[in-house]
Amino acid sequence: MKHKLLPLSETMHYILLALREPLHGYAIMQKIEKMSNGTVSLAAGTLYGAIENLNKHGWIEPVSGETGRRKVYKITDKGITILNDERQRLRHIISLYEMSEIDEEV
Amino acid sequence: MKKFKLFFNIVEEEQWLNEQLQKGYRCTNISGLGIYTFEKANKASIIRLDYQDYLSANRFEEYKTIYEDFGWTHIRGSRFGSIQYWQKTADSQNEIFSDRQSYVHYYKRLMNYSLSLAISLLMISYMIYKDSSLYETKGLWDMEGSLFWKAFLFETPFVIIKLLPLIMVILFGFSYLHAYRQYSLLKDK
Repeated sequence: MKHKLLPLSETMHYILLALREPLHGYAIMQKIEKMSNGTVSLAAGTLYGAIENLNKHGWIEPVSGETGRRKVYKITDKGITILNDERQRLRHIISLYEMSEIDEEV
Repeated sequence: MKKFKLFFNIVEEEQWLNEQLQKGYRCTNISGLGIYTFEKANKASIIRLDYQDYLSANRFEEYKTIYEDFGWTHIRGSRFGSIQYWQKTADSQNEIFSDRQSYVHYYKRLMNYSLSLAISLLMISYMIYKDSSLYETKGLWDMEGSLFWKAFLFETPFVIIKLLPLIMVILFGFSYLHAYRQYSLLKDK
């Protein structure tokens, strides 16, 4: 059966992509705001819950040390595999978008 | 300004608190006994209630740090399975959740919270009621006329107090159903 977090939601997608560099909670939100050109603004509870969930599944992990009381996270190898699978899936869907005009002519 | 009010439903409590804030107050303290303290404020504030199960000291610290970074102030809430009260100055982001999945999880937590309280109170009720009848005056039901009514009315307040746990079971039961309704509405979409 498919993993319950798949296909990735917009929130999970952005967090995993943002965590290709190590960041703490609030910095994740700031980065996502930039990445999405201001269209995705995560709220505190959603971010906390998502971090907890991704960490539980081993797709992200805390990195030791750094900014004091703020916990810093980074994507894991497992998380990167998930992103690669999602990339394949989305590429295929995009290809269907692009093929639709040709199909109509057939 | 202090106000006294008891709630059995987190969603209703949050609504009532925000109605008070809209009158130009902010909340400064909430006691476990239903006493809410407010003071006049220049800026409009907003309160959001969350529920979290038991969290380790580290997790609770992380939970609070993330909310505080987003501008929320923690008014009340322990790490041992409790309602978390968050307040902040109103601006463009007045919610603690920003996607549907978070609300689904939130209502699921509220369901578990109401249900576990209802079940605990039901067990307490059972222990209170199993060995005693509701009215304990001997021969009450054989009395006649004014004597019966005097004895009956005298004992009724005590009976109501004795019934409190059961009344609370029903109130938390409604709270559970309310959360379940929201949960299933969001989940089916």
